[in-house]
Amino acid sequence: MKNFFRKVAFGIGPNEEVPSDPLAWALNQLDDVPDLTWKGRIPSGKEMIEKYARKNEIELKKVRKKYKDDKKLLKIGIERLNNETGLHFWPSLELSIRHTEAMYSNSPVLAKLWFFWSNHFAIVDGGFRTAFYTGPYEREIIRPNLNQTFEKLVYDATTSPAMISSLDNSENIGPKSKIGKKNKKSSSINENHARELLELHTVSPAAGYTQEDITQLAYIMTGWMNGYSKSTGDTLPVEFNKDRHQPGKKTIFGKTYKSGKKGLANVIKDLVNHPNCRDFIATKLCRYLITDNPTEEMKRPIIKAFKDSDGFLPEIHKAAIRVAFEYNDQYQKFQKPENWFLQMAKLADFSWPSSPTIMDLYEVGNKPQLAHTQPHGKLWSLGHNPYGSKQPNGFSDFEVDWISPELLIRRLVFAKDCFELTKSKNNNFKFYKNIVKKNFDNPERIFKYLEKANKPYEIQILLFNHPEFLRA
Amino acid sequence: MKINRRDFLKTTAATSLFFAGFGLPSFASQNKKNLVVIMLEGGMDGLCAVPIRGDKNFKKLRSKINLKKTLKLTSDFDLHPALENFKACWDQNAASVFHATSIPYKGRSHFEGQDMMMSGGTVPYQEKTGWLGRGMNLAGLKGNGLAMSLPMPLLIRGVPLNNNYFPIRSSLPQKRLLNIIEEEFNQYSEKDLSETLSIIRNRDLNYFPGTNASTLALEAGKLLSDPNGPRVAVFKVENFDTHAAQGGENGAHADCLKEYDQILKALKASLGSTFKDTLILTLTEFGRTIKQNGGNGTEHGYGTAVLMAGGLIKKSKVHGDWPGLKNKELFQGRDLNATMDARSIYASAMSTVFDLDFKRIQKDVFFGDKLENLSDKLFKA
Repeated sequence: MKNFFRKVAFGIGPNEEVPSDPLAWALNQLDDVPDLTWKGRIPSGKEMIEKYARKNEIELKKVRKKYKDDKKLLKIGIERLNNETGLHFWPSLELSIRHTEAMYSNSPVLAKLWFFWSNHFAIVDGGFRTAFYTGPYEREIIRPNLNQTFEKLVYDATTSPAMISSLDNSENIGPKSKIGKKNKKSSSINENHARELLELHTVSPAAGYTQEDITQLAYIMTGWMNGYSKSTGDTLPVEFNKDRHQPGKKTIFGKTYKSGKKGLANVIKDLVNHPNCRDFIATKLCRYLITDNPTEEMKRPIIKAFKDSDGFLPEIHKAAIRVAFEYNDQYQKFQKPENWFLQMAKLADFSWPSSPTIMDLYEVGNKPQLAHTQPHGKLWSLGHNPYGSKQPNGFSDFEVDWISPELLIRRLVFAKDCFELTKSKNNNFKFYKNIVKKNFDNPERIFKYLEKANKPYEIQILLFNHPEFLRA
Repeated sequence: MKINRRDFLKTTAATSLFFAGFGLPSFASQNKKNLVVIMLEGGMDGLCAVPIRGDKNFKKLRSKINLKKTLKLTSDFDLHPALENFKACWDQNAASVFHATSIPYKGRSHFEGQDMMMSGGTVPYQEKTGWLGRGMNLAGLKGNGLAMSLPMPLLIRGVPLNNNYFPIRSSLPQKRLLNIIEEEFNQYSEKDLSETLSIIRNRDLNYFPGTNASTLALEAGKLLSDPNGPRVAVFKVENFDTHAAQGGENGAHADCLKEYDQILKALKASLGSTFKDTLILTLTEFGRTIKQNGGNGTEHGYGTAVLMAGGLIKKSKVHGDWPGLKNKELFQGRDLNATMDARSIYASAMSTVFDLDFKRIQKDVFFGDKLENLSDKLFKA
């Protein structure tokens, strides 16, 4: 039963009480979205995009021109620009904010679901942009929607600068629009965003849509773009440009939509109310929390909660957590690297992540110190940097995708090397016995296994590679 | 029923295997064949790697990044001087080029293009598995893939239990602890974890050889030359996206080509006699514009070249139907055109190396798209 605390959150820390009613403990975290726990600086998305991303985009062109004959100087020039815009710092700051929420907040269950939705609406890791867009997107678009409806979440994610940039909707121009007619050669629809809105974000291919449905949805989405001007690049706020919007009616799943800005909101409303959308979201939640292959019985209460509440996320979340609780003893899911790392960090009371004081010492313009880039480096080396999704479908929730020699080597090596993050007062059997008692149902069996260790750091290697710890 | 040559050969081989015990001639001892794919990320400039000879217009458009010194391939094509190991293979009839080719991507985005070069699809982000993974799956090559990277690249997803190699600068816990963990995996019937741990334990992890390209290639060659080792290896070389300071013989693009050439050199050395049963192909998302830009670099283009090496190459030759570089011959008035879907090359390579019927690959790996069987032209059967 105690693995439930890791299944739906990140485990019980050495100084925390084990909740007497685990289900109530989890359910109570899902109604409100509290402020982030991180006490250091939290830059706004507006600042990140309009100040730093803009500068990086505009200046890069100049640097390339200036050092066109010398590859070494060019490299130095780009590196300097990256420091001037904090490019190497922001991803680690974002990870620190994210990990603090998982390890030290009063709502780790909400954090686990926050990570789920951020991955569901994943931003493709592409070039310099990711460093400025992805973190604020997850904080300002995904997180505040965790106690809103799924419909609102989809609309906000779809019209966010990060997603539009990630899936190229700025290049989605109606051929019969004003601009499309003027620039015939360079104007065409770009279906990427429309296709993923159907396939990954809402109804999934199970809904049986056709290529024509995709094309029609792309037409509805024409004109939605990141605002552009010559002096700012495409870093102005997202806008609906009616001069790029394909005129005329569009038909999706047999239903007709009028042309104009409201088309997108209208079609999203219908997509989130499609039965396949409810089924798809229930499947993904069960796969994330419980098992690779969710059963109909598992999904049913989540689908019902979705329908009865008109897609109110706290109700969907509660249903999913209840199902996870019900099946807790039957299914243990192999944990993805970031989850595994956070659980280890929390149980072993690591000095992790870098403190707000240290992170706030960084000034944009300087080359960041090791402590300022460590979170990003560590997660990358672990093979699971949550901001580094190579595809819009995010990181896989299938166990088989996370079992490979190098990924297992990382777990063994990290459990050993992260001993440097422990506090010396904890380096004794008593400390580990305490956390095993709090987080495992059969502590005696694990004690017996841990007794084979000769030194505290060996306990850590053994415990965090124990089959019961690798799963939750 | 139509039986093509390849199916016929397979039937013969199976029959021979059946009679092998009776001293009849047998193909059963045929060597394991390997396929290596080196992904050149950022858009490899086929016109820089394998430039056309004697095209005045081309020289003019690239006045700042022309190659002053080249290696000669044929009467029509030169070779970038950084590719000296490729040239050595060429001289032994173990390297060839397919020019003016591209995957079916006509956009200008790296991320879409890289997605499509790995998925083998015709629409970005549509496929969630890779063409190589699907091909291996079709050939029943479970557990035979090796990625020289930490995350499993899309290219070989679609077949279970791939191996990977990308060493970390740290040592594993002591053997004694690994024994304890392994024992516990077995107690809990964690079969996959247990098998993976035994693969790890067979590796020499007492030293950190580094993760530079040639070190990884030496290791890959060692594993591929093992008769029970993997049959497929995947590499990647980054930074071909030379928007500025692309350079000629020396420059940003030359550095990338050199890195590819070093992989080839290391593979050849460590494969040893297995090199003769191996194909090493490059894969990139697009070529680069013919005209240099204001930063003495090039922009994202279309047509490019595929570099092929290994003992399974039929003969050294620049293949392809050259589309010309006059304005009206260019793609969108700016890029080398593609006269061959690069997937035809990859499908033919898989047909050769995996002993699979080309049509099955076309149907099950490449969605029945129109591709040309080039196996007999490019590769040894």
